[in-house]
Amino acid sequence: MMRLRIIRIVVFGGLAVLGLGLFRVQVLQGPMYRAMGEQNRIRLIPMEAFRGKVFDRATRLLATNRVSYDVVATPEDVTPPVFPLLARLLDIPESEIRKRMSAPREYPFAPALIKPDIPRDQVFNLEEMKPDLPGVSIRISGIRYYPYHTTASHLIGYIGKINEKEYAQLPRDRYGMNSLLGRLGIEKIHDASLRGWRGGRQIEVDAQGNFVRVLSEKKAQPGRDLTLTLDLDFQQKIEQMLVDKRASVVVLDLESEGLLALASSPAFDPNVFVSPGHSKERIDILQDKSSPMIDRGTGSAYPPGSIFKLVTAMAALEKGVITPQTRLFCPGHYKLGKRVFHCWEADGHGSLNLYEAIERSCNAFFYKLGARLAPEDIAYYARQFGLGDVMQLEVSSMTPGLVPDRVWKEKHTREAWYAGDTLSFAIGQSYLLTSPIQILRLSAIIAKNGFVVEPRLVMPVAGSEELRPEKKRVAVSEANIKVIQKAMLNVVQSNKGTGQFARVNFDKMAAKTGTAQAPPLQAHSWMTGFFPYDKPKIAFVVFVEHGGPGGITAAKIVNDTIKLWNSIYGTGVA
Amino acid sequence: MARAWHRDTYWPFVISFAGLLGLGLLFVHSASHYDPAHYEMRQLFWVAVSLFFFAAAFLLGYRTFLGFSRLFYGVIILMLLYVLVASKARLGAQRWLEIGPLALQPSEFAKLAVLLFLADYLGGRPIFEKEQATFFGAAVVAGIPILLILKQPDLGTALVLAAMVIAMLFYWGLKYRYFIFSILGFVLTAPLIWAGLKDYQRNRIMVFLNPERDPLGAGYTAIQSKIAIGSGGLLGKGFLQGTQTQLKFVPEHHTDFIFCVFGEEMGFWGAAVLLSCYGILFYSILRILEHTTDVKARLLAVGLLAMLFSQVFINIGMSFGLMPITGITLPLFSYGGSSLVSTALGLGMVLSIHKERSIF
Repeated sequence: MMRLRIIRIVVFGGLAVLGLGLFRVQVLQGPMYRAMGEQNRIRLIPMEAFRGKVFDRATRLLATNRVSYDVVATPEDVTPPVFPLLARLLDIPESEIRKRMSAPREYPFAPALIKPDIPRDQVFNLEEMKPDLPGVSIRISGIRYYPYHTTASHLIGYIGKINEKEYAQLPRDRYGMNSLLGRLGIEKIHDASLRGWRGGRQIEVDAQGNFVRVLSEKKAQPGRDLTLTLDLDFQQKIEQMLVDKRASVVVLDLESEGLLALASSPAFDPNVFVSPGHSKERIDILQDKSSPMIDRGTGSAYPPGSIFKLVTAMAALEKGVITPQTRLFCPGHYKLGKRVFHCWEADGHGSLNLYEAIERSCNAFFYKLGARLAPEDIAYYARQFGLGDVMQLEVSSMTPGLVPDRVWKEKHTREAWYAGDTLSFAIGQSYLLTSPIQILRLSAIIAKNGFVVEPRLVMPVAGSEELRPEKKRVAVSEANIKVIQKAMLNVVQSNKGTGQFARVNFDKMAAKTGTAQAPPLQAHSWMTGFFPYDKPKIAFVVFVEHGGPGGITAAKIVNDTIKLWNSIYGTGVA
Repeated sequence: MARAWHRDTYWPFVISFAGLLGLGLLFVHSASHYDPAHYEMRQLFWVAVSLFFFAAAFLLGYRTFLGFSRLFYGVIILMLLYVLVASKARLGAQRWLEIGPLALQPSEFAKLAVLLFLADYLGGRPIFEKEQATFFGAAVVAGIPILLILKQPDLGTALVLAAMVIAMLFYWGLKYRYFIFSILGFVLTAPLIWAGLKDYQRNRIMVFLNPERDPLGAGYTAIQSKIAIGSGGLLGKGFLQGTQTQLKFVPEHHTDFIFCVFGEEMGFWGAAVLLSCYGILFYSILRILEHTTDVKARLLAVGLLAMLFSQVFINIGMSFGLMPITGITLPLFSYGGSSLVSTALGLGMVLSIHKERSIF
């Protein structure tokens, strides 16, 4: 049958084609392949991609790559005299050189790293001695470099070498045996888009291992650059104010909702983690008792103290417990059963309305409010402003803080909620914990008349205009928010206000101070607010660990910060 | 019974079968004797198992298997689905089903399942009646496992399955226009499929067609296997003397690239002998096919022939650069339990056709 014939032809024809092909490869080209095989003339060189740069809003470089000259060697090409010679030239013990030569490599005949980042003059020395160093060469690569050193170090983070587990699991086209990955901060969170794609070359070499030609090549694709909303110059100057303190300052641009500064002190220099040979400095940083690696702006939570009175006030207004005109009396203390809760003004403030109570930060007024509110009410409004939960922000450590209520207390302390707890809660103590950035958001939402604010750190990529989701509001009426705004104005601008040390003479500021008890040490110093009062442009928070009264320590820093901001973005008149 | 058995065997078939198995064992040993995994011992085990299945298939007869073909097909489809679903967690290609210490490859048995189903299905329908319906039926029967296998992703086995189905339809007598339209249809829908693929999938296909695009991966394997085979020359380097393969320049050399070991150590004359062994096997299958009038048996034989031939062609072809690199085994030669057992079953069935032949 005809079709069977066709099948027969295909089968035996196919076998014949194979036979012919094999004849060609084995008999005709045999000697050529034999030579290539014997001399292992094909080498694989993986090529790492350039990591994307990170810019601030004014295109200043926060992270970039600098050129590094590495000494590499292909162990199969190296001869015995090379070891002592290299040891002498590079000032490394010979045993160490042998160790590095025998480290595991990604491919046979791939180069092994002997010494990274050698100084320029050593490069010339080595090049001169090339005939005596077969198998050794200089490779040009890029080392991550952070030009601003300690500025914004928590934010940018650093990169580190891949470990065994990751190497086994991650795809080979992006992660090689010696690849570096982001370990902290933006470097880690945006690692996938910063790192690009690896490339590689298949090269032919001669019997001495010298390059003959490229057989095939795949170009590495560099990573994408990233732009942050930060103003590095601004941040740097703020960080100078915080030297020797354990503190954090955060400033948010209200129109774009981008963070202008997110400073935490003390800080560290990430270059120490990416440049070779700084192990002593690294250990110093990790063992430093002042914990420079902690991001105090987002990753640590503290009792907010009197700042929280803003929330209590809004809860009271919304629940109808008081109106803005209601007057309550402060005798200097508040009695709950046998316990006495003190106001900081021992002689008492006398009769106050809400505006005055906030302006002077009267505790007794707020104890009275606390007595009339359930802890769940206060907790509800706290959570409306995002307290007690993490934010969507590209930072490495984000603490949710803690907003307590009855259920929480019973679960975690096995004691019931006491009435006294509500009183402490109302003035921002008790179990309440907030991070500086959460407090910042509180001020920002107030500044925006109750519209929810989502701070961000990274500028959206040009061209991809994200559909801004419909703006949500917190469950507080605009009228009540305006009451709080007015009260915060008085805190700074009135002569009876607790925050008057922050006052500047070129425009009006609204804020709230906080002095959070933190026994046995000094209280924490807080201040948060927005500026200018009419048509606010920024919101800010200043926090100093154990810094003392908010109206003194934090207020001074607020004053300097606003002046600084004004010199860059404002009228320029100090 | 013993005497009948002796008369019913087609000796060239059996000799080439045994020869290939034997050579395969020898060279799996060569490819892995330094490897603590002792592949050659496992291969010995699987050879024994497959001889058992070969004998069983021969004695039971192909008709028994045809009778169970639909059930078998159903089970295989379920196994293929399970492999896809259960292996979602693991990285890399998902092809194996682990049953205790054994790893089965359902895709290998899928070839057999489709072969049996189609032989029974097409054999039961005469060509001059309802040709179009039967064609679509066959396309669906073959299409489902091909798609499931493609998703694993196992491009090689999918290709072999496709070749087998095409050969069976061709032999069955499908009019040429069906083939032409199918090709046209494929050519027209290919751009749509291409647009729907993700980047990494496109990349894979491009590397598959041109290994040079991946100089550190497939491209490297391609050239190293060529070097290995080429350096065998006319006479080879000698048993166990293959430097390229022994030094692990060619990966997977006990499975997909076993021919490299053979080519390097036995040279061209060895390759010629191997090709002749396959030639004799294929020739025997064709002869057996001529001695029966049972259409289903003939289709079974053609299908098995196409399956074996395409595997031989692709596997040997890829090792010296004629074909793109896929993960398929050289029948009876490469290490691999599922491959051996399913091939042995198929061959046993074909030999049983000779036993039950109607033309003497």
